[in-house]
Amino acid sequence: MLSIRDFMSSDHRHCDDLFAAVEAVLEHAQAERLPAAQAAFASFATAIEAHFTAEETLLFPAFEDASGMRFGPTAVMRDEHEQMREQIRLAGDALAAGSADDYAGEAETLLILMQQHNVKEEGILYPMCDRQLVAGAERLVGQIAGCMSGAGA
Amino acid sequence: MAVILSLEQAPPFAAPLRFFLTAPLFGMAVAALVVVSGEELFASRWTPAALAATHLITVGFMLQIMIGALFQLLPVVAGAQMRRPLATARVVHALLAAGALLLAAAFLTQQAQLFVLAGALLGGGVLLFVTTALFALRGLGADSASVRDIRRALFGLTVTLAFGLMLVGGLAGAFAVPLPQVADIHLSWGLVGWGGVLLAGVAYVVVPMFQLTPSFPGWFERHFSLAVLVFLIAWSVLDLAGWSLAARLFASVVALAGGVLAAITLRLQTQSKRAKLDSTQQCWRFAMGSALAAAILWLTMSALVLAGDSRPAWFSSLLEETPAPTQFVDGSGWVLLCGVLVLVGAFMTAMNGMLYKIVPFLVWLHARNAGGRGTPAPNMRQVLGEPLMLRQARTHFLACALLVLAAFGVPFLALAGGVALFVAQALLLANLLKAAGVYRRHLRASMAAAAA
Repeated sequence: MLSIRDFMSSDHRHCDDLFAAVEAVLEHAQAERLPAAQAAFASFATAIEAHFTAEETLLFPAFEDASGMRFGPTAVMRDEHEQMREQIRLAGDALAAGSADDYAGEAETLLILMQQHNVKEEGILYPMCDRQLVAGAERLVGQIAGCMSGAGA
Repeated sequence: MAVILSLEQAPPFAAPLRFFLTAPLFGMAVAALVVVSGEELFASRWTPAALAATHLITVGFMLQIMIGALFQLLPVVAGAQMRRPLATARVVHALLAAGALLLAAAFLTQQAQLFVLAGALLGGGVLLFVTTALFALRGLGADSASVRDIRRALFGLTVTLAFGLMLVGGLAGAFAVPLPQVADIHLSWGLVGWGGVLLAGVAYVVVPMFQLTPSFPGWFERHFSLAVLVFLIAWSVLDLAGWSLAARLFASVVALAGGVLAAITLRLQTQSKRAKLDSTQQCWRFAMGSALAAAILWLTMSALVLAGDSRPAWFSSLLEETPAPTQFVDGSGWVLLCGVLVLVGAFMTAMNGMLYKIVPFLVWLHARNAGGRGTPAPNMRQVLGEPLMLRQARTHFLACALLVLAAFGVPFLALAGGVALFVAQALLLANLLKAAGVYRRHLRASMAAAAA
């Protein structure tokens, strides 16, 4: 059976790929570089927002109900989601303003925030979820997958 | 691997920054020494100039950056809260900086009192830091590879210090010490038991994080640091007991382990998802390439020297063409070359690259925490632009290449390498000062905005 940790971690890698794709467009695209980068960035922003939303509306509440921890790790993760949303907005603004260099500067910060957040979730929170949510894990993963693909459509 | 990165727990910026800003000053001092005494320095690793330069790099440059980074990493990566981090950082920094200068002066002048004074200052600084760090780490779980390796590296640092103080006692004439033998043990603990183990522990986190690579193999993360420390202990004991052949075997395994670390890191870096090699990534690749070259060179030459008269003919003919053949026969010449590759090529370069992520990120983090809504924090490229970092990194690569050639016995290249290293270190200092200046201006602007 697919664990919560495996499923959510592979979505992190998916978001990493989309993040890297923006840099690849900026580095390699010959013509229409900025519109292409903006489109790639929009895909990334949609995917990561879907990930945050699925966590905040499905995974975290389920964990909080099962563990009784409402102000523990999930509260820290929600805060960090807000920080990253702010940073995603700044990076998007830089691309919209046509500045690849400012994008690179904001994206660099975003990458560090994202990666340290992922390390925490994959190393601590998801394993806790797998332990707490043994019974309904399969159904929950199905709901999360549905939520993410719904947001992406 | 469970790592808790808590940015809210970051210590005041001034705690790590003072170490980072001091390191390039020592880098410039090394370069100046290479310019002034290049010929003496590259004649043998045991000359006063070579010993002074080595310690300006290891204690002056490397130790400053490693300790400065740990002031930042212990709370943020390991969740270990240090008591009064800023006050501790001030004292440790002053002791280590003064100790490094005095140690270099002691080697150059060969004065017993200077050795004793340098040993006392460095011993005090290192022990104060290790005690504070271990106290902060107490009670933290051993399930994180980084926390475990930081503890093991601190053990390596303490052993390095112990052998170093023994050497200081010998050099000051207090007691008899088999200097070359203990020096080799001291340097292997410093470079591998402290430097290598800490670098590996940090690499597990930062290489996948900054470069979007796969994680290090689980077996490597689990076993590397312990294996290296066990081999080092075996080597030291066997060597001191006079079993030199067995000791050499364990020494080779340690070199092999260093080579494997470099090879795995390089292989992971080829799988990076990022489109562009930025200055940090270029520094890491250059550093790991140098470390791998040093490990291969060490293992090959070690085997050839051991082989004695039964060396292959090509090796003997190669020796006849070398400007200083005797040194390459008795082994000291290639040890010097390995030293340049490991110290300047690998450690200095990797740390240089790390500073280019750590410092701009810390400026952003502290600026964001200090500023209100009205003054947005400068992004990492506004703190320090990529062209400035690349220009400095490339100058450093050039310096490394020239110094490697100088170690082959081309004296005038020592001068050119020294000049290039001086320029590279001055540019590093200028870049770090520029980043610190952006932070200062941001603080002033947000205070003015708050007052208005």
